[in-house]
Amino acid sequence: MAMLDGFRDKDFLEQVTILNEIGSNKDIANLPGLMDLFRRPVGDTSIDFMVVNALNAVLSGNEAKAVEGLASGNAGYRILCIRAIGEYGFTSAGPMLTSLGEAETDPDQIQEILSALSRIEAPDALPLFRKHSQSPDAFTSALCVEMLGRLGDAASAPTLMAMVEGNETDENYERCELTTWKAVEALALLGTEETIAFLVEKLHHKNPTVRRIITDTLVHTGEPALPLLARVFETGGTDEKILAANLLGFIGHRKGADVLVGGLDKGLAGDANVRYAVYEALGRIGTMKGLICLMDGLKETDELILMAVVTGLELHVSPGVIKALTALLTKANDQSDRLARAVINSKAVRLFDALYEFEGAAAALIDALATSRDPEILEAFRDTLEEIGGDRAEEDLARLPQNVAAVRKALAADDSRSMLALHRSILTDLGFEPLTGANGQEAFAFVEAGEPVELVITDMNMPVMDGMELVEKLRATEGYENVPVIMVTTESESSQRTLAQKAGVTAFITKPFKPDALKAKILEVLGG
Amino acid sequence: MDVELAKPFIKAAISVISTMAFITPRPGKPFVKKNSVAQGDVTGLVGLTGDKNGSVSISFSKGCAVAIVKNMLGDDISDIMNDVKDAVGEITNMVSGQARAGLAEKGLVFQGSTPSVIMGDGHTISHMAKNPIMAIPFETDHGGFTIEFCFE
Repeated sequence: MAMLDGFRDKDFLEQVTILNEIGSNKDIANLPGLMDLFRRPVGDTSIDFMVVNALNAVLSGNEAKAVEGLASGNAGYRILCIRAIGEYGFTSAGPMLTSLGEAETDPDQIQEILSALSRIEAPDALPLFRKHSQSPDAFTSALCVEMLGRLGDAASAPTLMAMVEGNETDENYERCELTTWKAVEALALLGTEETIAFLVEKLHHKNPTVRRIITDTLVHTGEPALPLLARVFETGGTDEKILAANLLGFIGHRKGADVLVGGLDKGLAGDANVRYAVYEALGRIGTMKGLICLMDGLKETDELILMAVVTGLELHVSPGVIKALTALLTKANDQSDRLARAVINSKAVRLFDALYEFEGAAAALIDALATSRDPEILEAFRDTLEEIGGDRAEEDLARLPQNVAAVRKALAADDSRSMLALHRSILTDLGFEPLTGANGQEAFAFVEAGEPVELVITDMNMPVMDGMELVEKLRATEGYENVPVIMVTTESESSQRTLAQKAGVTAFITKPFKPDALKAKILEVLGG
Repeated sequence: MDVELAKPFIKAAISVISTMAFITPRPGKPFVKKNSVAQGDVTGLVGLTGDKNGSVSISFSKGCAVAIVKNMLGDDISDIMNDVKDAVGEITNMVSGQARAGLAEKGLVFQGSTPSVIMGDGHTISHMAKNPIMAIPFETDHGGFTIEFCFE
């Protein structure tokens, strides 16, 4: 008590010194004196502020006193104790803080109490979190929902699922609620077969943001999600299969590759789009079995699928791969032509580099390259040839078309490398110089840089910025109000078309499509 | 945890704008965006470091920003562009300061960068983070503004 004796009569500097010292020695003996100063402030803002800080410091070292303070009749002091309990993780306060929360009716006080309870992760508070998980205040309910997950409250699973579903009704699907975000994460944390199965089932949620959160969460969940994704892949329809294959690829677990390989063997990938997704995923995972499947995929005749196979192999160049490719490329038949085009159009420079050693394969590739009109592709392989060097490379360099300068530019956005490569080749065929981005933001950067674009092709779902937002932004940009935009969608996304049309999409094309179908669509929107 | 960070910013925004510009903003329902961008005509942006790292932006519609300037400066407007820039920067700074003081009371200490102001009709701002972004729309009688948060 001695330190604070006669405090009110001391001058400002002395007061500051005393409070500073109490703040650092945290001596509990000063608590009564400080409480008196807190109840009856001296009136100087900076001193009163220091009193609060000193109280907080003293409480930080005295858990029992902080808990005791919860029963204080002074509302201000009570809040101070509640905050100290949260800040310093005084877990013994759990039961008392919980009963305080049960009796409280003021929303701000409830928020303070819940926030402290969440920081000490008090299991006693579970009923309180359950109760307020339905609070009309979005921040309070989101906090409680998060805690239901962190405390592993399996009994809340149905409530959490209802939240995710409630965000899907006709009136509510346009915006992703705070609680939906937290409910998805909580369901993943609960990690029961039922909750993970629910998330897998909701991969096609009507709201694009929720879809992305679910996808990210499942990728993060990793191995536990594999059996469920496997089941979807094995029993679902085409769209489910594609989504499951994509996710298995992103998770990148060896077991995922086994599922995909098994699926190919069982003939589950009859649909071209499914096969495309499977090859792309196998390329990402890259197990030995997967590689063998990719090698089998070299027999595919669909150009798009072939590009997915080549893109996958590009990530795993090995002598075995090169030997097999060389044999196929030197056959001089339709398939070797297709394969050479696929290597060139997917800009597979590492494969090219390794294959160039073998004259027959090199000749096939150079033939395909010489017909390309895509300046970026030509540039990439020109660089590779220059690096390889030697007489043969120089002769081949001379064969390549020079300065193909297309004046018309078109923009393509897709997060799949093979799809982008396909767009590139279609656009260059039509005499456009393609500008490409792996998401809406990368694509929009070209527009911001002032590139004059005559046509835009975009995927619907992409990370960072999706197609919908890209279109909205384009339409809000001067000079882009009427530029034709073609959106590439899957059948299952057709429910989103109304939203996309509102955003300003000119035309849609549904995957799978033949390159000629997209060409026709492009000519149609440009002509009209 | 991240949702409780938002509250002090909302309180600060309402308090600063109603005190400085005599305009009382009405908060709307918060929502989540996975996309990275804030849209508006004038944006004040502050980077935060400390217990968590992130950024907070306040994007005003043109009407709202002009109304704030008029209310703050009265008839004393010389160069509307410069004054809007100044006012939004100042308001962002005050909101950031007041909100950080509120967070410090809960033991969450943040340092704020000096605010940057971005102007341009319908511009967009990217928050660099993988986490979802919380957006809180506000309405005023002169147009809306949006606060966005994003923490690692």
